[in-house]
Amino acid sequence: MIRTYSSTSGRFDWTGLAFTILLAIVIAVPLLVVFTWAFTEVWRYPSVIPQKFGLRFWDQTLSRADVWEALSISLRLSATVTALSALICLPAAYAFARMKFPGRDLFFLSFLASHAFPKFGLLVAIAAIFLQLNLIATFWGVVLIQLVGTLMLMIWIPVAAFQAVDRRMEEAARDVGAGPLRVFWSITLPQAGPTIFAAVLLTFVSTFYETEGAWLIGAPQIRTMPVLMINFINNQVVIQYGAVLSVILWVPSFIALMFARRVIGTGAFAKGFGA
Amino acid sequence: MADTATASATGGSEPAIGRGLKGLLLVALPVFLVGWLIIYPIIAAIVSTLFVEATDGVQFSTASYRFFFSDPYSRANLALTLWTTGVCAVLLLLVGLPIALYLRFSTSRFADLVQSLAIFPMFVPSIILSYALIRTIGPNGTVDILLNAVGLPKIPSPYLTPWGPVIGLVWDNLPLTVLMLTAGLAGISNSAVEAARDVGAGPIRVFWHIILPRMGNSILVTISFTVLGIFSSFTLPYVLGPASPEMMGPFMLRTFNDLYDPLNAKTQAVISFVFCLFFGIFYVWSIARNQRSQSR
Amino acid sequence: MARLTIESLRKSFASTVAVDDFSLDVADGELVCLLGPSGSGKSTILRMIGGFEQPTSGAIRIDGQDVSRLPPDRRPTGMVFQSHALWSHMNVFNNIAFGLKLRRLPRSEIRRKVEEALELVGLGGYGHRQTFQLSGGQQQRVALARSLVLEPKILLLDEPFASLDQHLRERLREEVRDIQQRLGITTLFVTHGQDEALAMADRIVVLRNGQCEQADAPDIIYRNPQTQFVAGFIGQMNFIAANVEGGTFRHPHVSIAVGVQDGPAVLAVRPEALGLAATDGEAGATVLRSTDFGSHIMVDVELADGTRLKAMTSPSIRWERGARARLVPAAYALYRDNRLVDSGRVEGRATTAASLDVVRVTV
Repeated sequence: MIRTYSSTSGRFDWTGLAFTILLAIVIAVPLLVVFTWAFTEVWRYPSVIPQKFGLRFWDQTLSRADVWEALSISLRLSATVTALSALICLPAAYAFARMKFPGRDLFFLSFLASHAFPKFGLLVAIAAIFLQLNLIATFWGVVLIQLVGTLMLMIWIPVAAFQAVDRRMEEAARDVGAGPLRVFWSITLPQAGPTIFAAVLLTFVSTFYETEGAWLIGAPQIRTMPVLMINFINNQVVIQYGAVLSVILWVPSFIALMFARRVIGTGAFAKGFGA
Repeated sequence: MADTATASATGGSEPAIGRGLKGLLLVALPVFLVGWLIIYPIIAAIVSTLFVEATDGVQFSTASYRFFFSDPYSRANLALTLWTTGVCAVLLLLVGLPIALYLRFSTSRFADLVQSLAIFPMFVPSIILSYALIRTIGPNGTVDILLNAVGLPKIPSPYLTPWGPVIGLVWDNLPLTVLMLTAGLAGISNSAVEAARDVGAGPIRVFWHIILPRMGNSILVTISFTVLGIFSSFTLPYVLGPASPEMMGPFMLRTFNDLYDPLNAKTQAVISFVFCLFFGIFYVWSIARNQRSQSR
Repeated sequence: MARLTIESLRKSFASTVAVDDFSLDVADGELVCLLGPSGSGKSTILRMIGGFEQPTSGAIRIDGQDVSRLPPDRRPTGMVFQSHALWSHMNVFNNIAFGLKLRRLPRSEIRRKVEEALELVGLGGYGHRQTFQLSGGQQQRVALARSLVLEPKILLLDEPFASLDQHLRERLREEVRDIQQRLGITTLFVTHGQDEALAMADRIVVLRNGQCEQADAPDIIYRNPQTQFVAGFIGQMNFIAANVEGGTFRHPHVSIAVGVQDGPAVLAVRPEALGLAATDGEAGATVLRSTDFGSHIMVDVELADGTRLKAMTSPSIRWERGARARLVPAAYALYRDNRLVDSGRVEGRATTAASLDVVRVTV
């Protein structure tokens, strides 16, 4: 593998080509299959190409009441969780980045706890608490459990964003007469803005797709889109429903996530998880 | 003047104590949530599974744990989980390390393409992945169609066997594995490798003597993170895996929701914690160490 | 029209004292340079005047009013930062206009003032540019305009040219000096470059370990350094350590009659005041190297005890490596425990035998 390192001088990069082809097949084929299914009306084994393309199942999927209900619940949940998370995490992130107070380092690391335990075990432990509080199968129960999952992302990425703002820029604004709040609003926030926006976007999207917590706490009353998808996979004979739903769900968030990725950069992703 | 930079927050106009209090107030809510919804439930789960309500008040009892380890079904589930986690971790390293090495040392135009492809699964939610894999490697799926088209026999489908979740989990965890390993490799300078090549070390020796010793830590962090994620994964094993035995994730959900048995669900959760304890501690420890070296 | 008075200013951080009992009086329209090595506390003093650090004790007065408890936004000071600290999400115009907008000036007035400030720093018509489209020198000029547009009573400059290359630095310091004199604005300037201080300042304050070593006009600082540290920090200086015995500084290579009590002392001689005379035999200093600078020759010599000295000599005489020379100092200063205890000229260039009466150079 190191061979490629010395082969910068014009020799063809066969290793790279091999990686590209292999990854392209493994990564792209399953997704292409879903796309094809979504626009297929008849595809019987063993034909390589569907017998009939068409949009019939888009109409059928979109006319199902349970789809619209799940979409509405999912959107309301994600919006609520994201707004709450931003509301409580962004000021805290600013404090972590810019202020000194007792226990600062310990508190900052405590957000790792959500990643330091096997996730589903943690969810079951939380669910046991919610059982006593009658939060099972309620909207706010799901909001709380999903909120916990967003804390680390919404603290760690904005902290890095705030820390990256040159302190002298803030001092220069104080110098020309801006008060502390004005400095935050006019200088710090716009400077850290793109990264924070990306963190908010990531939170929204990851909450939208969160499955385990929503099912464990929400079932059976609160049925989100991913939970509905599992239902379709398990119980639905019509294959296309799942395919259409996948495409509807995935394309907009895919664009959003690619945007977030460009802003944050791949390095920050890895750093966010401690590499 | 590093001190001067950290000492003043938003101008040195307020006394330090007031600023400390303000900082504590700002972080209070998220920290409280961590305490209430992570730390407390874990402690409560441990305590409530060991001190059980009996007829004559609360009593210390390991009955639920004894049941778990004496019940063949529970044991089979745990064994399957351990097997899946181990196989996935090994496969991820075997696939991720070559890709990461290639990305670190290649300067060709394929590098960007390989990176984009390797990171792509990060943007595919696992529920959509599950569906896609059923259609691809399931019975009469795309792989079968293609094999049939070139006149080969069908494969024994991994769908609903232990290999189903393995394929899904490796697919799903590949991006983070590659990113974390690449980040670890970034710390190895070109000159260190060049110097070794200069004294006559071949690619394998360079990997074994120069690269591997320096990225040992990041490999361990990567494995820890992967193990923590896979051990109690839910969606992929639930959709792609066998119904019996099942992995801990689906097992816990079924115990909690369908059997309505919180005590045994909590016991299963605590057992998951114990099996992942080492990886969790190592993960937190190594991040804390990184943080400290960055802030100094 | 502003006068800055600093009274026994002190600043201590957790474990260190950054500024220790520092007092200074800056007259209206004066440009004072704070000069010192890194960690000498010069930036901390400037940041305390700007309001970014709280003094542990002491007072800062501007026109008699104590400002040391005011936050930075309520002080009549304008600061130019080392890294220019321009707000990269605003264009040049908005960077300069931000402070004026906070003061709720009418829009036409803001536009006029910003244009004036840009003209002043030689960037007329650059208002619509983005800050990252400017060169390093232009960015620093915008930062200067941003401070000047608010007509501060005191202008503070924190190593403003540190990130620029040598050529640009020299041009900008002339411009800044020009603008400062035209506006007559009281200015405090922090630098660790002695050239900058000597070229710009009305007065230089040399700092070490948070304390003032000497505060004087540049020529006095250079010609009459009051401490051994200042002597060594500003310009090139040769130091020879030995003892004073019976009113004479005695060193195997140089002896000078001095008016101080007996004891250890350090003799300081500038290279341009150190002559060399050819000598035979084993004694004398050994020539290590001679470098021709065209207008003069710099000769490095080594004494028997290993001390290395530099002498600036006329290009008419060539010094070969390994040649022997005796030292002929023309002027000296004598320090004991960092303090100046004696200084003077050595009468008559010691190239004649007669001078041996005054300067006894052992051969």
